[in-house]
Amino acid sequence: MKEETLDCLGEACPVPLVKTQKALEKLDVGDVLIVQIDHSCAMKNVPEWAREAGHNVEIEEVDDGEWDVVIEKVK
Amino acid sequence: MREKKREQYDVVVIGGGPAGLTAAIYCGRAHLSTLLIEKSLIGGLATYTNEIENYPGFPEGTTGLGLMELFHKQAKKFGVTFKLTDVKTVNLEGETKEVETFRTIYEAKTVIVASGGRPRVTKAKDEEKYLFDKGISFCATCDAAANTGKTVMVIGSGDAAIEEGTFLSKFAKEVIVSVIHDEGKMDCNEIARDAALANPKMTFIWNTVVESFEGEGHLSRVNLKNLKTGDIIPVDVDNCFEFIGYEPNTEIFVDKLPMSQRNYIITNEHMETGIPGVFACGDVREKELKQVATAVGDGAIAGVGAEKYIAETEMFENQLMQKEKVGIIYVYSAIDAPSRELLPMMQEIENAFQGQVKLNVIDQYKGKSLCERLGCDVEPMTVFYTKGGEVVETSTRCDKKSVAEALNKLVATPVEVAL
Repeated sequence: MKEETLDCLGEACPVPLVKTQKALEKLDVGDVLIVQIDHSCAMKNVPEWAREAGHNVEIEEVDDGEWDVVIEKVK
Repeated sequence: MREKKREQYDVVVIGGGPAGLTAAIYCGRAHLSTLLIEKSLIGGLATYTNEIENYPGFPEGTTGLGLMELFHKQAKKFGVTFKLTDVKTVNLEGETKEVETFRTIYEAKTVIVASGGRPRVTKAKDEEKYLFDKGISFCATCDAAANTGKTVMVIGSGDAAIEEGTFLSKFAKEVIVSVIHDEGKMDCNEIARDAALANPKMTFIWNTVVESFEGEGHLSRVNLKNLKTGDIIPVDVDNCFEFIGYEPNTEIFVDKLPMSQRNYIITNEHMETGIPGVFACGDVREKELKQVATAVGDGAIAGVGAEKYIAETEMFENQLMQKEKVGIIYVYSAIDAPSRELLPMMQEIENAFQGQVKLNVIDQYKGKSLCERLGCDVEPMTVFYTKGGEVVETSTRCDKKSVAEALNKLVATPVEVAL
C-alpha cells in the first residue's frame, strides 16, 4: 500500500480536482493519495467528487486555510 | 481491513454549519470535550452564499465564508476539536453513543445532529457549471439585493418559489417564473399566487422545465422546455433561482431518529429527538425558517441541552442512584405546601438511621427531567427507595411510620424511629 502526495497549493478550481482525478487513476486499490490544497473552493469539489466515486476521504486542516485531503482508493 | 481507533468525547457534533458550530461553541465553553465532524468545508451551506446581509451584528454585510470563519475561530478558542471527514454510520441507542467514520469510532455521551440540507437541483444539462456563485442561487433572502435592476429567473411554483420571487421583484427589473403546471396553476398558497399574478414585474412561462443552462463563466441563458409542445424556449437572464425544495442530509439516520415524511428530523422546542442524549438543530430539523440566524438559535439550545443532559446523567448516577447506602428519594414540589412541609421530617428520618440511609430530594418543577428518568408522571409526595443503585420500591405513602418501616426492610441494622 503506497502513499503519494499531490501538491496543489496555490492552485484554484478546477485544477486540483483534475490533478486529483489523474493521480488517482495511476494508483492501485488500497493506495492513499494526499492532496494538499489551499483554495476553499477545492474543499467542496475534491472531497465531494472522491466520495461520489466511492473512495474514503478524510481531511486534515494543516494550517489556517490549508488542508490535506486524504483519499484512500477503494475501487 | 485495519482495526478502527476508538476515541471518547462528551459531545460529538455532526455537521459544521452555523447550527453545529454554535452548538460546539456552547459545549466547548461549558468545558465539555467536544468534537465537531464536518464532511468538507467548515461553514456548511452558509459558505455557498456570497453575501449575508441579514445576520445581525454585521451592518456592512459579510460573506458566508467570512462569517463562518469567525464562527470556526470562536469554536477553536473554546477548545473544540475538528475532524473533517464524513460520518459513515451512527449508533445512538444506549448511554454511550457511537459515531463512526472510515478510520475511527467516536464514543460520546451526547450527539448533536446538525447535518443540514442541500438544495434540490433540476439536474438539467450544465447546471453544475453555474451552481451557487456563478448564476444559480438557492436563496433570495441572501442574493436579492445583488439583483437590483436585473433580470432573474425563478424555477418552481411552491410557497418558497412564489414568495421569494415576489420578494425578488422588489429589486429585480423583471422576474420570470418557470412553472411546470398549466396556466394559472401553482403549488403555492392562493394569496401568494394572486399577488404574484397581479405583480407587473413578474411574468410566467407555463408548462415548462429547465432543459439546459448556458453562459461564458457566468450564467447568461436558461433554455426552458415546454412539456406539452416540446418547444425549447431560450430566455436570457442575469441570474437564476431554483426553489424546488431542499433535501435533508439524513440518510445515515434513517430508522434511527424520528423523521417527517420528507426525511427531516423531528424535534421538540428543546431540540430533543426523543432519544435521550441525542439532539438535532439547524436545517436538518423539520421547521419553518431556515436562516443562519435561526440555525444559531437552534444550536445554542442544543448545546445547552447537551450540557444539561450530561450534568444530569452524572448527578442521577452518582447521587440519586448511589450504591453505597440504602437510598430514599423524595419528590416534592416547591409550590405545593403539604409536600414541602414533609422535607424536615424526611431529614429527621435520614438522621435517625445513623448513616445507613442517604436522602435525596427532587423539586418536581426544577428537576422535571430527573423525575422523568425515575419514571414518567411522578406526582409530588412520591418516595423512591433504592438499594445498590436500583429502585426497589416506589410509594406515595409519605407518613413517618410508613417511610421508617420501608427503610427498616432495606437496611442492615433496623432502628426504632420515634413517631
